[in-house]
Amino acid sequence: MDLVAIEELSVRYGRRLVLDRVSLSVPEGSVYVLLGRNGAGKSSLVRCLLGEQRPGSGRVRLLDGDVWSGRAALLREVGVVPEEPDAPPSMNARQLARFCSGLYPSWDGAGFAARLERFGVPPGLPFGQLSKGQKGQVTLSLALAGSPRLLILDDPTLGLDPVARRAVFDELIVDLADRGTTVFLTSHDLAGVEGIADRVGILRGGRLLVDEEMDTLKQRFRRLRLPTGDGEGLEALEPVSVTTRGWGSEVVVAGWDESFARDDVEVAAMTLEEIFLSLVGQEGAR
Amino acid sequence: MLLLSYTHVSRSLRIDPADPRPIWRQIEENVRHLVASGALAYGAPVPSVRDLARDLQVNPATVSKAYQRLTDTGVLTVKRGEGTYVSDSPPDFSPRERGKRLLQGAVRYASLAVTLGADRDETRGTLEDAWSNLAGGAEEQTEEEREEWTSSPSKS
Repeated sequence: MDLVAIEELSVRYGRRLVLDRVSLSVPEGSVYVLLGRNGAGKSSLVRCLLGEQRPGSGRVRLLDGDVWSGRAALLREVGVVPEEPDAPPSMNARQLARFCSGLYPSWDGAGFAARLERFGVPPGLPFGQLSKGQKGQVTLSLALAGSPRLLILDDPTLGLDPVARRAVFDELIVDLADRGTTVFLTSHDLAGVEGIADRVGILRGGRLLVDEEMDTLKQRFRRLRLPTGDGEGLEALEPVSVTTRGWGSEVVVAGWDESFARDDVEVAAMTLEEIFLSLVGQEGAR
Repeated sequence: MLLLSYTHVSRSLRIDPADPRPIWRQIEENVRHLVASGALAYGAPVPSVRDLARDLQVNPATVSKAYQRLTDTGVLTVKRGEGTYVSDSPPDFSPRERGKRLLQGAVRYASLAVTLGADRDETRGTLEDAWSNLAGGAEEQTEEEREEWTSSPSKS
């Protein structure tokens, strides 16, 4: 079953089309990572998922229900970590947990306390006095304590130092291992999500450019280095970018084929970050 | 016999994001390599899916897939309620598969020998020494030497 199912979603702010017929789905037990530059439409998509933004057209289903009409009931089974963690500034983590425990049917109070301790967040300090990283960690701890079927994380490691970042991914990985949670997350942290994503979506200018399994995505992208002016056989490999260097050309291809054989071409595999940059790096190529 | 600690297993299993092989395959092949080299002894415990996933910062499902394939081919054995262990005997490869794997390693070693300017006799002699080292003199090896043996899995 798909816990998230988006079909032909379009959103318009005034005249500007911010999401253009986006379709994607997140099967139960999988991790979907949505990438895109700022302004690509990620936040609008998340707002639609959370029932905070009404789709201009298309359908958004969460846990097989209509999120716009059934928001309150559906979100009881969803853990959310927003981009800007928000809570009453005078409440401390312990008070926040007490408040939230009434909202979720299966609340894991012991897990919440243990997580806070691993993060090293003082449970008695008012939310408003916590650092940005600590706010995010409290929000994540609250989200996980609700034992959600689906976690929606909007750039959970944005602005965090490497230690805090690692701690966030550690908690996420442990939850995946222990409960098989389904995750939908947006991120700019490409190295961080590289090992975690089952499936990757890349938004550019409101369009979903890529919606694919991580393994197949990495199989089909390669960086080739070859002498300038000799593009024989390259068209079939679907070149997406060409850079001219002193020694020749660097070509990124999206349709790599193992049977391609040329002695003068050097072939290198690419990380998710390199693939992302090659697709959205050149703004002119819309 | 000197064995790799849990930390060393995780470190030797480190994955490479620039490697074209899927992560589960990298883990699978690295474990095979550790077992074949003796760094992970027959019967030794391996990290749980949860721990290894956290150490490598990868999806537990990915580790699980690698472990599943290793269990299916007899390299690892799951003991219910206890954990996952290296099987008590060598994996049962077909002679053809074993030959293929041997040749892959041999080509790498031969290429290294040629580029270093070693002749056939020296190359053969070193192989003999390495064999003796693996088989008997493991306790004389330092950890660094051992890691060197286990940290360069094949890239196909």
